[in-house]
This record gives sequence, C-alpha cells and structure tokens, in this order.
Amino acid sequence: MQRSEMSSVAELKERHMAATETLTSLRQRLRERRLQLLDTDVATYARAQGKSPVSFGPTDLVCCRILQGHTGKVYSLDWTPEKNRIVSASQDGRLIVWNALTSQKTHAIKLPCAWVMTCAFSPTGQSVACGGLDSMCSIFNLSTPLEKDGNLPVSRTLSGHKGYVSTCQYVPDDDTHLITGSGDQACVLWDITTGLRTSVFGGEFQSGKTADVLSVSINGSNSRMFVSGSCDATARLWDTRVASRAVRTFYGHEGDVNSVKFFPDGNRFGTGSDDGTCRLFDIRTGHQLQVYSPQQQLQNGGNNNPNPDVTSIAFSISGRLLFASYSNGDCFVWDTLLAEVVLNLGTLQNSHESRVSCLGLAADGSALCTGSWDTSLKIWAFGGHRTVI
Amino acid sequence: MDSTSQPNGNDRPPTSRSQSNTTSSNYIGKHRLTAIISQHNQQIQLIQEELDQLETLGEASLVCGQLISSVESSTDALLPVTRGPADGGWDRWFQRANQSSSSRHRRRWI
Repeated sequence: MQRSEMSSVAELKERHMAATETLTSLRQRLRERRLQLLDTDVATYARAQGKSPVSFGPTDLVCCRILQGHTGKVYSLDWTPEKNRIVSASQDGRLIVWNALTSQKTHAIKLPCAWVMTCAFSPTGQSVACGGLDSMCSIFNLSTPLEKDGNLPVSRTLSGHKGYVSTCQYVPDDDTHLITGSGDQACVLWDITTGLRTSVFGGEFQSGKTADVLSVSINGSNSRMFVSGSCDATARLWDTRVASRAVRTFYGHEGDVNSVKFFPDGNRFGTGSDDGTCRLFDIRTGHQLQVYSPQQQLQNGGNNNPNPDVTSIAFSISGRLLFASYSNGDCFVWDTLLAEVVLNLGTLQNSHESRVSCLGLAADGSALCTGSWDTSLKIWAFGGHRTVI
Repeated sequence: MDSTSQPNGNDRPPTSRSQSNTTSSNYIGKHRLTAIISQHNQQIQLIQEELDQLETLGEASLVCGQLISSVESSTDALLPVTRGPADGGWDRWFQRANQSSSSRHRRRWI
C-alpha cells in the first residue's frame, strides 16, 4: 500500500517538475515575444516625428497656495470632482477637508485609528473615506452633525481586510461603491450602503505570486476597469465583473510599485516604483511603452548612488505631463512624450522642505496639489503666459 | 486536512514514528503537489492565451502613434502651449477672493 502511495508521490513530483519547466519556458517565450514587439518607445517615436519637449519659463508653474494645519506628515490627498476641495490624511491622526481656493479648513476629523495611510473624496463631495493600519475603511458623511466632543462620527465602517488598507478610491460617479487595496494582498470592491464586500480581487487564495497592494487607480473612462500596484513589482489590470483573475499582469519594474494612475485617455496607465523609475503601459496590448528613469536624465554616472524611490505619480489632464515625487525630495515634471524632465518642483521657490508623499490633480486640470512629510500641502498652477491654439 | 484517513484503506497502524511521519507527510505532500500542479496548469493556459493574443496585437509603434494623437488633441491648463478652448476658471488660483472672474486685472501669486 505504502509502496504505491510512494510511487504516486513520485509521479506527482515528476508532473510538478514537468509543469514547472513548461511554465518557465513559456514565460521566457512570452518575454521574448513581447520584446520583439517593442520596436520603439514613445520618446524615440516622438523624437522621430520632430516633437520637442515642453518648455517652462522660471515662473510658469508656481506655488499659489500653502495649506497648513496638519501637525504630522501628510500621507494622502484627494480632490473633489467639483474642482476646489481637497481631503488630506496625516500622521497626526486627522483628516482635514480644505477649500483649496480660499485655503480654509472646512472639516478637521479626528480619526478613531490614528494610523491612517489613505483617504478619498466621494464623487458628490458629500463623504470622505480613509483607511490604514486598523485594516478597515471608515466613511464620514460631511454633513452629519458633530458629536458632543466636537468629532464627526463614522457613518460606515468597511471591515473584512486581513491587513492594512494602503489605498482607496471611490468608483467615479458612484458614492455607494469604492475600491480598497490592502497589505493582505487583495483589492476589494465595497458596497458602502450595506458595508459588504461585492468582490475580492487577488489575495492569498489566488493562483500565482501575490503581495501587498500599495495603490489602485480606477479608469475614468470605464469604471469597470482598475489597476493595482503591488510589492511584487507588478501592476495588474482588473475587470470588476471578473474577480477570479486579473485581466493582465504587467511586468518590468524591479521594486515595489508604490503608485499607479490611469492615463487620461483610459487606454494606458502609469506606475511609480521603489526601483526609481516610472513606466507607461498600454492596457490593450500589455506593452511597456516608456520608462522614465531619472538616472539617465541626470547622467549620474555613479552606480553606487541608489535611485530614490518614486513615492507618487499623477498625469496632467492631457497626459502630456507626468508628475513624479521621489523619496529624496525631488518632484519631477516629465514630458511624457519625450521622456525628459522639464521641471523640478522640488527646487522651485516655495518648494516643500521634505519628501512629497502624495500628488493629485484638480478635476479641471488647472492645479496640482502636493502633500509632504513637512506637514503642508501646496497648490501649483500655471501663472505664465499661455498660448492657446 | 484530515490526516487520519488514508485513501488506500490501509488499516495497519504505522510500526514506527518515522514511518508514520513519512506516511502523513507523503499524504500532505500529495495534496500540496496536486494543488501546485493545478495552479501551474492554470498559469500555463493563461500564458498560452496571452501568447496567442500577442500575434494579433501589433507592435508598440502603432500604440505610440495613438498615444501622441490623444495627448495633442487634449486641452491642458498646465501647459504653456495648449489646444483650446481655454477655460476662464483656470486662472482662479491667481485671482484675489474679492475679484470677479471677469476682472481684467489679475495679480500674479508669486
């Protein structure tokens, strides 16, 4: 009996080895085929078409507001779709809602769990959401009357994740659903009205390697699609109707993918990573269209200088500019098409005194907000001479 | 995982500790191996599908062209040169709170 049991284990081990070999060689073939199809990148193509990089004068992009009020590092920020309001989350254990135009604080929300990592504004601007080390996502309705201690009460708690909530975003045009990403390696689509999970994407029971999810971005043109960035150096594209497996997995980065953002046209997305680069991927073909590498930019010859991590990215409303913040305090403005750094917000007048941890663009594209470990948020806008063609 | 039931109906108790450990670890090993093989086969199928798909998708250059068109046809308030129409609201960041948006005199906020 035991002999036959032993031999069936041996058979299984052989089948396992064979399957592993097939898998390895297929992966290699896929990599090679993809490389063959990468006949160019965006910058090479654009240069060949005679495009020249965006040119900023010294006072074109300026800091036009400084939002002060947090007493700890700012970790996350999000704008409302109706242009001027921002919610920010900080190490001080608070969310602050700002009118960015007037610099006034409209709400200061003391959180039940101080270890917050992410925040989001609902599409109507009526609610804000946050999440962090408590593994939960808390929803606050901004028009709820304050409690006796002056605090805004939590109106809904979304619990179910088995790890920290690193990122959250409301589904566009839908105050009742949001997507979270977590240290438990899964993303979840929540129904806020019931507090229940509608779908779970990824996580420990899925096939293949998985790792902590650090960032999500929902496609503004097709809200059924979202991208997640993970500690396993990949980004994954998901269809909310198909939770069982990712539509596609995007390889290329060599470190944690800290930030993902859909490109404005909805057909590409950008990523920022601990490997110091940002990348642009095409969702339909899976091609890696461009690598944005500061080391090449600055012609930094020393290999012993580690590349600073990319902490956050955002695209301008046309996609021509890619804003990328780094752990060394730089905040590069990349010309997306030419893959050149055209400005460094980290060296301008009124730049932050410490690393920028989060970036976000106003809904009409007229301003960029940066949030920093120096506890402030800053608003940047174009104040130079604009040529409209 | 129920390690006390044996699939081959072997009622003979193990005669030594190591034999018992080998039996149960083989049993657990079988299930784990089967699960891993199944996962691998799933992944093989997915990669095969992706390889087949790649044959029809075309090179990066095709996509680059589309990308450039999409970017250049969009308006952008943060660019020095942009396609129109411009929106008067773009410059609200440089207007004082008590000025109307139609005011001709705008201050720079530097």
